[in-house]
Amino acid sequence: MIFRPLIFAVVVDSGQETTMTEMHTESFDPEEMERIIRNAGEKRSDLIPILQAIQGHYHYLPAPVLHKCCEMTDITPAELFGVATFFPQFRHRPAGRHTIRVCMGTACHVKGSERVLDAFNRHLALKPGEDTDRDRLFTVSKVACLGCCTLAPVVQIDDVTYGHVLPSGVPDLLRDFLGRESGSSVSGKSGAFTLRAETEIRVGLGSCCQAGGSGAVFHSIQETVAGLDTPVSVKRVGCVGMCHQTPLMEIVLPGRDPVLYARVQIQDVPKIVQAHFKPVHPVLKLKNHVARWIEDLYTDAAWKPVTRYAIDVRDKPVAAFLGRQLHISTEFCGILDPLDLEEYEKHHGFEAAQDCYVSRSPEAIMDEVIASGIRGRGGAGFPTGRKWSLVRSAAGGPKTVICNCDEGDPGAFMDRMLLESYPYRVIEGMMIAAKAVGAHRCIFYIRAEYPLAVQRVGEAIRKCTEAGLLGDRPFDTDYSLSFSIQQGAGAFVCGEETALIASVEGKRGMPRIRPPYPSEHGLHGNPTLINNCETFATIPWIFQNGSGSFSRLGTEKSKGTKVFSLAGKIRRGGLIEVPMGITIREIVEDIGGGCADDKAFKAVQIGGPSGGCIPASMADTPVDYEALLNAGAMMGSGGLVVLDESDCMVDIARYFLAFTQQESCGKCTFCRIGTKRMLEILDRLCEGRASAADIDKLESLAQAVKKGSLCGLGRTAPNPVLSTLRYFREEVEAHVEGRCPAGKCKALIRYRITDDCIGCTRCAQGCPADAIPWTPYKKHEIDTEKCIRCDNCRQVCPSDAVEVN
Amino acid sequence: MIRLTVNGRKIQVAKGTTLLDACKKLDLVIPTLCYQEGYGQHTSCMICVVEDTASGRLMPACSALAETGMTIETESAPVNEARQQALNLLLSEHVGDCEAPCSLICPAHMHIPRMLREIAGGAMRQAIETVKAHIAIPAVLGRICPAPCEKGCRRKEADAPVSICLLKRFAADADLSAKKPYIPARSQDTGKKIAVVGAGPAGMSAAYYAGALGHACTVFDKESKPGGAMRTMISDDILPPQIIDSEWHIIEKLGVVFTGGSRLGADWTLDTLRRQFDAVILCIGETDPDIIGSLGLETSGRGVRVHPGTFQTGTTGVFAGGGMISPGKLAVRSSAHGRSMAVSADQFLRGLPVTGPPERFQSRIGRIQPDEIPVLMQESGPGPRRDPEQGIRAGFTEPEASIEARRCLHCDCRKPESCRLRHYAEQYGATAKKYMGEERLPLEKKVQPGGVVYEQGKCIRCGLCVRITQKMKEPMGLTFLGRGFQVRIGAPFDASLDQALKSTADLCIRSCPTGALAWAETEEGTS
Repeated sequence: MIFRPLIFAVVVDSGQETTMTEMHTESFDPEEMERIIRNAGEKRSDLIPILQAIQGHYHYLPAPVLHKCCEMTDITPAELFGVATFFPQFRHRPAGRHTIRVCMGTACHVKGSERVLDAFNRHLALKPGEDTDRDRLFTVSKVACLGCCTLAPVVQIDDVTYGHVLPSGVPDLLRDFLGRESGSSVSGKSGAFTLRAETEIRVGLGSCCQAGGSGAVFHSIQETVAGLDTPVSVKRVGCVGMCHQTPLMEIVLPGRDPVLYARVQIQDVPKIVQAHFKPVHPVLKLKNHVARWIEDLYTDAAWKPVTRYAIDVRDKPVAAFLGRQLHISTEFCGILDPLDLEEYEKHHGFEAAQDCYVSRSPEAIMDEVIASGIRGRGGAGFPTGRKWSLVRSAAGGPKTVICNCDEGDPGAFMDRMLLESYPYRVIEGMMIAAKAVGAHRCIFYIRAEYPLAVQRVGEAIRKCTEAGLLGDRPFDTDYSLSFSIQQGAGAFVCGEETALIASVEGKRGMPRIRPPYPSEHGLHGNPTLINNCETFATIPWIFQNGSGSFSRLGTEKSKGTKVFSLAGKIRRGGLIEVPMGITIREIVEDIGGGCADDKAFKAVQIGGPSGGCIPASMADTPVDYEALLNAGAMMGSGGLVVLDESDCMVDIARYFLAFTQQESCGKCTFCRIGTKRMLEILDRLCEGRASAADIDKLESLAQAVKKGSLCGLGRTAPNPVLSTLRYFREEVEAHVEGRCPAGKCKALIRYRITDDCIGCTRCAQGCPADAIPWTPYKKHEIDTEKCIRCDNCRQVCPSDAVEVN
Repeated sequence: MIRLTVNGRKIQVAKGTTLLDACKKLDLVIPTLCYQEGYGQHTSCMICVVEDTASGRLMPACSALAETGMTIETESAPVNEARQQALNLLLSEHVGDCEAPCSLICPAHMHIPRMLREIAGGAMRQAIETVKAHIAIPAVLGRICPAPCEKGCRRKEADAPVSICLLKRFAADADLSAKKPYIPARSQDTGKKIAVVGAGPAGMSAAYYAGALGHACTVFDKESKPGGAMRTMISDDILPPQIIDSEWHIIEKLGVVFTGGSRLGADWTLDTLRRQFDAVILCIGETDPDIIGSLGLETSGRGVRVHPGTFQTGTTGVFAGGGMISPGKLAVRSSAHGRSMAVSADQFLRGLPVTGPPERFQSRIGRIQPDEIPVLMQESGPGPRRDPEQGIRAGFTEPEASIEARRCLHCDCRKPESCRLRHYAEQYGATAKKYMGEERLPLEKKVQPGGVVYEQGKCIRCGLCVRITQKMKEPMGLTFLGRGFQVRIGAPFDASLDQALKSTADLCIRSCPTGALAWAETEEGTS
């Protein structure tokens, strides 16, 4: 599958015609255009925020508004188009009223997101190259990762997130979405919040939910609510598409985010209801509780209300899930209200910063960081203290500290979780860094795909400024400090620091050669410190507990802890923080509870598109920068996706290469064309069209791209392929022979119905390709010619009678 | 100061010096495509990679800064391999024919499109020069050639091929009837003597080019007049004998002497010729294997065994071609052999490596899609292929020739000589097929008549033009559109090339390392 960014339609001639005609049918109010542009900025470096504002208003970038933008600012047409067509966030064609974002992250991929995407395209009758249905109601787009890996496969429609989406559930899902829209609820678009007029409890009563026992839950809720003095309506809702999590129950409070509970048991109902509606003293506690649930809804442990709830009551393995971990950057996990500044301060928040600002010299701060041995959490593991001292000693204009939260790796959501849950801690880490390097300006660079993180961080900055922690006199010192947020625009390559800087300067996010490093020559040519979000989140702990406490953790060269997004074919996924040196086996088996569905553990993909697969046979490899590199993987930013026997390693390699190929900035030859050619070979392998010579060609090309590419993206892009060739060569060779041993590659597999068929017709009813004739009470047959390998039949079969081989 | 070693030589440079500039100080030439002094670095093509053996890393010399302790190698095996790989990749997506398919199919590799443009423009003197650069006897061939070139003409996809052969004849006839027919400038006399045996198309051509190259040529033939089988086996209606005489007459002007009635065995043996001449070119047509053996030459199954590129036989200084090495009566092929043998003999006599005419790198589009035909038709004149009104034998009139020649699509590249991609492909032995893409990119061509031509498929996305328009403050300028594999160069707001390149067109065209940007009127090179 080759990703085709939709934006190109505007620059090819035919697409341009479309834009021109549509331009004339729509009218643009000049005053409105001016207002939008003026509010967003006027300098070259404001280009991305300006474009984001235009798109925020018009849902695409209409040419007349872009003309206006060039008139009003000193941005040239060439600069504007270069940037507007670089970032996938920007559209040049009018969009449908609602945007469906199908997450293509690793976890979603291994759980069938391609099939989900196909199902949407099929259902909306989109032809190849189209992304918007005829009624212009929905626009379907792919998103690299929504960072909700434990809910995989995930689909977001506007502000509503659906998890565990099945291809067969797509029609119901869309019906549900449109039902919400036309119902009594009023959706407002303030960040991620959905405002609803009345208090109600909704219970999913779709067929799957009923099968899961939601009928009984519904009655139990009605009984409980009858005992409350608050008026609450209990409402039945259709399938919300999260059939693996049934029964589902959603509590909607006016002015608050709805809270969704999954796998609700009858005995849990009173507790849940009371938590929301019965006044609990002190009042603060209730507020925190609710805030935490809200947070959980939008974060990866979105299903934690249930998981956590279960800890109190029954599930032992889940306690292990928490117990084996060590919380440093996620300290007070599950306790802190993300935006309660007072609470953070009560938990020693900002004490480290105060200590640094009031009593430590920049040198003393740096010494402490160096002594801790912490290395960058963004992937490459450069010693943090050394980076700080390079910036400190660099000559040049005003220095800047940038927090890199452009977490674009599929399968990684650490930054999102940290920003949403611990914004104050990240701010504190950045404050300390600013003092150490001598910077007065701090910038959060956050992906636009993380609206809640942007909102939380913005709110946290506002609160800190109000409290005098930021601004002219933090801690009554005369060290002025300003914080701002820059939103990314959907380009993974902007996680590379020189590309990140280019985009903050309002340019195309293309990396440049290093040296000079940003520490010398960064934002606008001045010394700039760029650290990963997790690195900053770890800093306060080091100062509170001493560098010694930190450096005692971990291995000889990798100190402290590391946060991972544990996802994939795992029993218990989520965000974990573990001490360095822990083995992969411990993570997968003890924390994650091993593979789900009793399948055999095959490999972990670690480090995302820059990393590689480590086979189960090497599960005793410790989490350590060097050990992982030697194993052909990489610490990366911390995505850890567990694969089981049903995952095809060639498919996984192709998946990652498709990602990097799509995310290549297109600057250097090796990455721009080399990754494309590698992907073509992998496509051939997965489709059974490759020759044995193709494997050698793939390997030599991988080496050339690794050695010759300009930046880290290109240099590491071949890693998933090389590690697959290293550990799973036989599986690759099987594809040359036309076999996919894991039964994953569509072109190499066939669906067949076995004698276990009970003739229930569910497969025939659900088949979108009419490949299964409807033969009640008789064994069904699949017409292989018509079969599109969507896997529907296998998923709906109640008697496991669908075989893939 | 920074101290480093480059190719074993120690050098000191100021801090901030790029490796490219450091190499320049040592007079080392590093290949570059995307770099041009004064327009910053984009670091995209990666052809300029050099190796730092101290760190084992490859780095782009145009942008990597010299650092103390570096041990740079500019021509090591990993460097050359990386350059070749980068070129392989660039070529794998290159959509463009260096030379037109008609020229490549023509056994003589005549620069046909150029001749057509010259005829269309009424530049008949240039047209005959173009023809005679590869074909010594165009008036003859214009009457008897089966025109394989026309089978390759892309115009055929739209309606019918350009009438190339008759147009060549038109150019040749026009020249022969001119007051002063074209005679190529003869190189300085070398003092070397060449014997050409056989005066058919191969022998006539060999003599023409060997004479032009400054050698003293004597042509031996058993008949009393030159022309070989062309004179005896083709009816006078089709090929009047005086046409052969006229073209021979021009050959004589190059100092070539004809010795007729000269028979093998009776009048000459290879040994006598080798004693009397510095080189011998044999083209006596299809020859009995026993006779070949008696000449002391090796036989292959079909004729004399020669090196395929140089036409050298196993005997030093003896070359063989035409019907003698492979049977068949394609005069244009024999004629091409003749030219190649002359070039090889010239190399041999000058003590140069004998390679035959240089074989250039060719990027080829291959088959074009029906929807691409309009793209190609943009530059060509309308109308169907026409035959001369007064019949084929009469040939084209001047107005007819001009209209027919305009039907050429100009599918050949405008920068076949100055294209650095082609040049480096030859230097590093790169090929397009190594990593050939599954689907080639569509053929695109934007033409401003009389102005700029932009061919997206030949663009290597080096962005030099983008940087030039930016630096020169073009109001519209060019920019990168999109990103990744699909990134392309274009004007914002879909502006035309004229609007985008108001003051910088010439600078951009001269800087463009390939044929992506060119003046529509460009006519490059002579080979």
